Order: sequence, then C-alpha cells, then structure tokens
Amino acid sequence: MLRKYGALVTGLALALVAAAAVPSAALAASPAAAAPAGPVHINVTLWQAALIALGYYLANSPWLFGLAFFTLYRPLVAGFLVGCILGDPAQGTLIGAAINVPFLGFLSAGGNLPADPAFAGWVGTTLALAGHLDPPTAVSIAFGLGLLGSLIFYLRMVVDSGFAHWADARAEKADISGVALMNWLPGQSFLLVVSFVPVFLFALNGPQYVQDALNRLPVWATNGLAIAGGILPAIGIALNMRFIFRGSVIPYFFIGFILWTASGGSMSLVVIAALGLALAYLHLSFVHGIDHSKAETSEAAGAEAAERSVEATSSAEPADREAGSRIRLTRGDLLRSWALWTFFAHANYNFERLQGTGFAHAMTPIIRRLYTTEDEIRAALKRHLVFFNTEPNFGNVVHGTVIAMEEHRANGAAIDEDSINAVKSGLMGPMAGIGDTLSQSTLTPILLALGIGIAGGTAGGTAVPTVGASATGNPLGAIVYVVLISVIIVAIGYTAWMQGYSRGRAFVMDVLRSGRIDRVLVGAGVLGNLVLGALAAKTIQVFLAPTISVAGAQMNLQASVVDPVFPGALALGLVMLTWWLLKRLNPLKLLVIYLAIAILAAYPFFGPGPASSSDYSYQACTSSLLHPYYACGIPPAPTAAPTAPAATPSSQP
Amino acid sequence: MSLRLVRIDDRLIHGQVVAGWLRALGAERIVIVDDASARDEFLREVLTLAAPQGVPVEVAGVADGAARLIALAGTPESVMVLARNPRTVLALRVAGVPIEVVDLGGMGSGPGRRRLHKTISVSPDELRELRELEQLGTRVEIQIVADDRPIPFGSVDPRN
Repeated sequence: MLRKYGALVTGLALALVAAAAVPSAALAASPAAAAPAGPVHINVTLWQAALIALGYYLANSPWLFGLAFFTLYRPLVAGFLVGCILGDPAQGTLIGAAINVPFLGFLSAGGNLPADPAFAGWVGTTLALAGHLDPPTAVSIAFGLGLLGSLIFYLRMVVDSGFAHWADARAEKADISGVALMNWLPGQSFLLVVSFVPVFLFALNGPQYVQDALNRLPVWATNGLAIAGGILPAIGIALNMRFIFRGSVIPYFFIGFILWTASGGSMSLVVIAALGLALAYLHLSFVHGIDHSKAETSEAAGAEAAERSVEATSSAEPADREAGSRIRLTRGDLLRSWALWTFFAHANYNFERLQGTGFAHAMTPIIRRLYTTEDEIRAALKRHLVFFNTEPNFGNVVHGTVIAMEEHRANGAAIDEDSINAVKSGLMGPMAGIGDTLSQSTLTPILLALGIGIAGGTAGGTAVPTVGASATGNPLGAIVYVVLISVIIVAIGYTAWMQGYSRGRAFVMDVLRSGRIDRVLVGAGVLGNLVLGALAAKTIQVFLAPTISVAGAQMNLQASVVDPVFPGALALGLVMLTWWLLKRLNPLKLLVIYLAIAILAAYPFFGPGPASSSDYSYQACTSSLLHPYYACGIPPAPTAAPTAPAATPSSQP
Repeated sequence: MSLRLVRIDDRLIHGQVVAGWLRALGAERIVIVDDASARDEFLREVLTLAAPQGVPVEVAGVADGAARLIALAGTPESVMVLARNPRTVLALRVAGVPIEVVDLGGMGSGPGRRRLHKTISVSPDELRELRELEQLGTRVEIQIVADDRPIPFGSVDPRN
C-alpha cells in the first residue's frame, strides 16, 4: 500500500516541480516583469491559479515527508514557489520574505493556530505579484489573509474529529488497514477541497479586485498601507523576541542591529550568522560556564545515573530483547513506522484526539508484526487511537519507547496497557515542551531569518533609498532555508525515534541530564538574537516626514537630527516599544493598532498631499507625519517608473 | 506569592506552556501538583528537567502541594501551578490554597467525554468538580494560549 502512496506523492511533487520549471510563457501566462505605471490588467491563468491552490493544499498536507509545515507553509518558501509559477521567482521570493517577517514568531502547538502564514504567503504573494504591489503593501494586506486561513484550519480540526470516530469503528473490527486509511483519506480529501477552492478563486479573481480596491483609495491611503508594511515587521520580530530575548543573550540583539546599520546594510546576513556562531561558542565558554546549568554531573555520570534510575523504575529494556524473543520487529518495521508517523502525524489532526489517529496509523506495521489474534489487534488499535499530542520530531522518543514496550509485551513480558498509556501520557507533554522550544521557537525562526536576509529586502538603511523599486529578491534565500531546516528536522526525528527504541527512558534521561539541550538553546539564543537584530534593522522602515529649519534651510527632521546621532534609532525604538507592548497586548490587537496608526500617519494633515503615486514633490511628502519610502527633502534616486502601488492619479483627499 | 496561573492541562508541561505561557507570565517557579507523577521517580525527573533553564520545577502530591502553595503564599515570587485535572485543583482549594482563577488549558477527549471548546473535553465527574469550584468562589475560564481571550466556563457549561 505504501507503494501506491509513494506513486501519488511522487506524481504530485513532479507535477508541481515541472510546472514551476516550465517557462510561464508556455502556459500563456501574464507578464509579471516590467510594470508600466497606471492600472494594469493582470491575468492569472487557470493553470497558474490551480497550481497555486494545489501548493496551498500541499503546505498543510502530509505528502512532503512531514516537512511541509516547515517549508511550503512558510511565506518565504511560498513566495518563491508562487514566483516560479507566475514567472518571476526573484520578485516572488522578495515578497514572500517580506510577508514572512510579521509571522516570524509564529508558533502552533497543541491544536492551536493563531493565524495562517501559509494562506498569507500563497495568496498574498499571488495578489502582490499579479497586482504589482510592492513588498510593504503586500505585508499589510497579508495579515488579514492570515486570519482567513485560520478559519480553514478551525473547520478542518472540527470535521476531522468525525473521521476519528470512523477510525474507531475500524479498530472495533480489528481492521488494521482500515484504521490507517481513516487517518488520511477522509481528512485529506476534505482538506483538499476546503483549501483548494478558496485559494483557486482568490488567485484567479483576487488580483483584479485588490487592484480595483486600491485604485479607489486616495493616494495617501495607499501610502498608509506601505507605511504599515514598514512597521508591521516590528511585531513579527518582537514576537520572536518573546522566545529568545532574555537573560545573558540580550546584548546580541543590539549588536546585530548595530552591525547591520553601521555597515549601511552591506553586511550580508550569512556573514552575520557566521559571526553569530563564533560568538555563541565564545559565549558558552565564558559566560554560560558561570551560569550553572542543571547538569551538575558530567555527561558520563549522567548516563550512568540514567541507566540506574531506569532499571529501578521500569520494566523490560534492551537486555530482555536478546533472551530468546519469539516475535521480533525488523528494522524495516521500525523504518516504516517512522515514515508513516513522519508523513501522517497530522493527516487527521482534530480537536478531539489531536495526533491520536496519526499515532495509531504509525503503529500499524508494528501491530501487524506483533499481534495475530483479532482480540489482540483490536486492543492494540484501540489503545493507540487515544488522545495524543507531542512535537513530531524530538517527541519521537515516545514512539520509540512505546514500540519497544509493545515488542516486549508481545513476547510475554508483564507490561499492561496502563503502563504503556502512562508512558505516553507522562512523556508526551514534556517532550513537546522541549521539542517545540527547539524546533518552533529556536530552529525555525533563526533559519527563516537567515533565509529572509539572503532573499533580499527593502531598500533600506539610511542611505538615500530608491523609491518603490526594491533590490531584486534572491531565490537562494528560500532554497537555503528549505535545505537546512529539512536536514536538521529529519535528523532530529530519526535519531529520537531510533534512540527511543533502543534505549528508551535512558535516552531521555541522558539528553535531559547532560544539559546538552540547554547549551544548544543558549547558543541558539546568541545566534538568533544577532540575526534577529540585523533583520530588525533591515526590515523595519520608519521615515519621518516633518522638517525643521536648520540654518535657514528646511531640513528633514530625521535626516538632520536623528540620523547623524544614531541611524536606525527610530526602527530600534519601534521594535523595543513593540516588545514591551506585547507583554500587555494581544498581537492581533497590536496589529490593528499599528495599521490604524500607519494610515493616520499618512493622512496629509499639513498640506495637500501627493497628487499621484509618482508625486515626489517636497510639498506632497511633508504633508503627513510619516512617509513610506524615504525621508523627505532627500530626493529619491533616479529610477525608471517604480513598481510601487499601481494607483491611478486620483483625486485629492 | 502571586499565583500567576493555575492551569489544568492533562499533559502538564508542554509546548504551549513552555514556549508560550512561561514567557508571557514571567513566572519564576513552576509547581506541579499530581499524585501519580509525584510517586513516579522517572516522571518526576523528566518534568523537573523539561522546563527551561532558570525556572525551578517542583512536583508534589496533593497533600504536600497544598501545604507548599500555602507556604509560598507569603513570598512575592511569581508561581505557575499545573495540575492534570479538576479534582486536584478542587482538593487544593478545599485545603485552603487561595485560587482566584483556574484556567482550563488542555483536557483531552475520550469515551464518555464531551467536548466543550476546541481541545477542552470533560467527563461528567469533571463537570461536577468544576461547578463546585465555581461555587467556592474560584473563577473557571478557558484560555488555551496566553494570546487568547479567556472564555468563562459558564458560557460553555452544557447546563446553561
């Protein structure tokens, strides 16, 4: 049966890759390149919309070795792929990277989803690319899309609970294949429909609607959206700071910020990351050594103590296995089980059981090998269909341990159902605590920040910015991110699974007692803060419009007073303020507040405001509090017609 | 002591608690009250080590836990209390621990259990225990992650 699934997966993957590789001209696509100013009639073809919708489905699906959550689900990667589909991977990556920043601190645990970065990424990039929106505008539209996506998630979580009952019915009949099937077929069919249809419609019709809506807005309002796009990244960064900006690693955030600003934005994030690794090593040697960790004993003593405590408490472990076991699991069984879990852990994710049906699915090869009577099979299926949830990579140690216990039980060891359940329910929580901290709070944001930095960014810093036209995006950012995160996540998952099987609780104790995890987290804290600080400097854009008179001439307030003292001070101030505010306010509320402030700040209180989107006159610029692209009084660098929001010259406000 | 959070979660310490709540509350100590975990040496150690560095974790049975929490009441330390079920929290309350609010963070489903909201399901016994807590003056709320708005138990109680 696995072969059939394999064919399906390969087919889907090939289809996506092939479509992305085929030049869009062959698909009669619309030109996504050089954009004329003024309203443009953009056409996303049926094929392209279908591929984009399929991509969004895949981002939530089990088919990509369970890695979709770390790859296609992220706007950085979604942007790159949408770019490939629409014919401009570089711009797509740029937009995806921009949209990703507010979602940097995204965490989904225990069936909770604050917003849907995948929807924001796939649909947002489509709307932006097809509508020729610039990255800041795309960012402010994207957060609303994120909320829409979470509705789809909620729907699926509720409906999948019903499918869990179908799996129960199969278990009652001791139908192993049936339980496996119920874990993916109904849930994924539903998910396909409920994901594909909205995104397909959005992709096909959305760009035109968004264009029309934007065209109806007065110019200052579209500026407001762009301003918002410059300050919303502060929320994403501050959300991430909630995880890592604490204790002895705090200074590294500021160092990263200063490094980027002082180098005028010329220091690549890869270089900063490399520096971060070196600093992490030094920090661990000099600073962390003084902060005593939990591991008082050395690693060796820790392992010894682990073995002792395990012998004292638990039953069957490796020793028994050698002594004439009648039924033995093969390595193939273990690998198959691991693969099934890695693919299908969330295939039927639902509020009632969370990963419960996925766990049962993963156990099917094990049950098939170990149990022969209908009663045994029924009992085994039912006990593994219960509520279960852990982090699906580091948490694999639970699965390995449980598999070993089942093997012993099948061979006659005195292990009752209660002990197996106790291990599952006792361990799944703590392993999730550690696992989520590792993968979602530490690993993913750091690698994403790196990828986003490589992907390119806004024309920023305090050098004379070019209006609208940003630096070209670099698809390498998305690719580097995908490769790194995939390798590391799979390595963690595989190791935890196999070690859990061969050493069980001793492995858990060993890892926990050795303090290895704490050291990794501290090192990641150094690296993460450094990269995050640099990213903050790069992506947060605040330009004051007002001027003051200096020696008789009108000079931009920010350029003449703030920048000479501390360039980037406003951006830094904003992110620190955001971090402080997030302690008191819900992120969603803050998003809305910032959006409102941005639009207000664009309102031309002091003058007539810009007559059109290409009105860069001094008078137009200084009529509001903030400006989206540059500090007024400094003329923009001469460029061709910018790819700024394609708004028609509209009426005065 | 400010009992920053008294949370019922059948998985005790896990992703949302560590990565979410701890940071949001700035709690300095975690006290886990659970008879089964207190008796199991392995589980006790895993729970103790699962919290991030710098946050001490204590695992105690109901009797010891009540005494400990009442003792901690005098200190200004900010404490997070975790329990697996309403029965434990009710026992603590009856023993005199000042619990103003109890948060239902995670209660898994199963046969005979009824889903109230997202990942919160209850058995008939637990419903009874939660209502008793409310009668004793403790506010019962559902708040799965810190960013959620708390939902009063009264609005999801099937009796209402």
